Amino acid sequence: MTDTVEVRELSKWFGPKVAVSEVTIGFGPGVTGLLGPNGAGKTTLMRVIAGLQVPSQGSVSVLGRDPRQDPNVYRDLTLVPEDEAVYEHLTGRQFVELAAKLAGVDDPKGRAQEVLETVELTGAAERSLGGYSKGMRQRAKVASALVPNPQILLLDEPLNGADPVQRAQLIKLFKELGAAGRTVVVSSHVLHEVERMADRVIAMVDGRLAAVGSVATIRAAMTDKPRLIFVDSPDPRTLATRLIETGDVIGVHIDGEQLTIEASDAREVALRLPGLAVECGVAISRIEPADESLESVFRYLVEGR
Amino acid sequence: MVLAMHLYRRLMRRSRVFWLVLLASVPGLIIAVAGIDAGDLDEAIVGIMLSVGFTYAIAALILTVSTLRDERDAGTLPYIYMRPMSRLSIAISSILAGVMAAATIAVGGWLATVLAGLAHGADMSVLLPGGAMLLAAGVGYASVFVPVGYLFSRSVLVGLGYLILVELALSGLVSGLAQLSIWRIAGSIYVDLLGEKGADIPDELLTVAPGVGGGLAKLAVVLVLGTSVLTWALRRRDAL
Repeated sequence: MTDTVEVRELSKWFGPKVAVSEVTIGFGPGVTGLLGPNGAGKTTLMRVIAGLQVPSQGSVSVLGRDPRQDPNVYRDLTLVPEDEAVYEHLTGRQFVELAAKLAGVDDPKGRAQEVLETVELTGAAERSLGGYSKGMRQRAKVASALVPNPQILLLDEPLNGADPVQRAQLIKLFKELGAAGRTVVVSSHVLHEVERMADRVIAMVDGRLAAVGSVATIRAAMTDKPRLIFVDSPDPRTLATRLIETGDVIGVHIDGEQLTIEASDAREVALRLPGLAVECGVAISRIEPADESLESVFRYLVEGR
Repeated sequence: MVLAMHLYRRLMRRSRVFWLVLLASVPGLIIAVAGIDAGDLDEAIVGIMLSVGFTYAIAALILTVSTLRDERDAGTLPYIYMRPMSRLSIAISSILAGVMAAATIAVGGWLATVLAGLAHGADMSVLLPGGAMLLAAGVGYASVFVPVGYLFSRSVLVGLGYLILVELALSGLVSGLAQLSIWRIAGSIYVDLLGEKGADIPDELLTVAPGVGGGLAKLAVVLVLGTSVLTWALRRRDAL
């Protein structure tokens, strides 16, 4: 699918500090998760894409336009900033209506009502933003970003401060937007939530791209990293012996009834395990890959550098 | 206009407005408490307006640098910046908001002067032009200090540097520098509007010649320059 946002050889530095270094990446329709530890350059990358910061080197193209040169791109591009910043003296409705007026939408009041309903904030719309919880502010910011019905949404840590119910609602909303063909870029440090919503993951470390792809793709690309599988069995020793004989495993570790297997191709081993267990006459109550979560992928990426 | 009104309302926080109107009212307070002879009243009021009235410049600085600086510091600038508006429109709206805010403070300070002057029996022909001077100064200061507020994190210090160095200290020492003094440009309008009553005052203006037309023309230049610099900064500098 065609990329709506193209970043080419992008670098951004602040004095001696390099925040983003030679990043080339494209973003297309669907939800893309942008991951990285603090200081990885995620926020800077989003701000440069949004036109809020000038690239020190390289270029950004949004729907074929440079956001620094063509403000009309903001009819299709919005950002939910990471900061908790909102206009505390405004009510939720006033905040969203202001966004609608500044965006030049035809019916600011009507559009504000629509997006407030979308983020389920109509009940608190007449209250001052200063009295909102962190999660409610996040939803108000998302509502404000949705006002122009943008094709591209950049969401910098949009789930910060949201309670579990609000998180679930927002994740559902982002997935729906992605499924509807919008380009949704979500940065987050809550990795399992990104895993739940993102079709594609981009990991950044020290201002550089560390990996791009689905969680499984990224994991598979790291062939030099052994993967772990946990197996629960009343006779792990027999199973371990049989596994070593096959030559498919790098190592095994037994702790009571739990067998931990290190393998370069964990998926293949996991598929073969039931057959091997039958051959040995050993029961298995659990087979679980221990390190397929984004947490572990991310840890590998960071520690591997 | 939506943006200008939004920025104006944000600037007009009650506590801030109260203290800044108070600062701009210092000439009025001095006139109110000073024992001024009836014969010297007009001259005294004009003298106080041109000298002590400079407190308005400080009030205008504190207020107008906040127009976009507040948005940057609070992290709310993206809500303004990421809109399908030309950067020139944003610059014009921002300076307009600064001018409206400065004018609000000016009216407060001027009313204090009028009330104090009337209490002493002063003529409105002396008091009215004072309002025009403050409004003119507000236009000039907003044109300079709104861009300064966007460009510099320590914008109040930068602005004070301009007020103290250029307008107070160096204007009297370096020939021609008074022409860059917004206070004296506004003062030139004031003195011209005073007519004969302002005939003995021009010393305060240094090398700036009294004249409404000339003063307005200079302010127009300052306004165009300020808008241009702010437009450039919005296009070329990081917004966050």
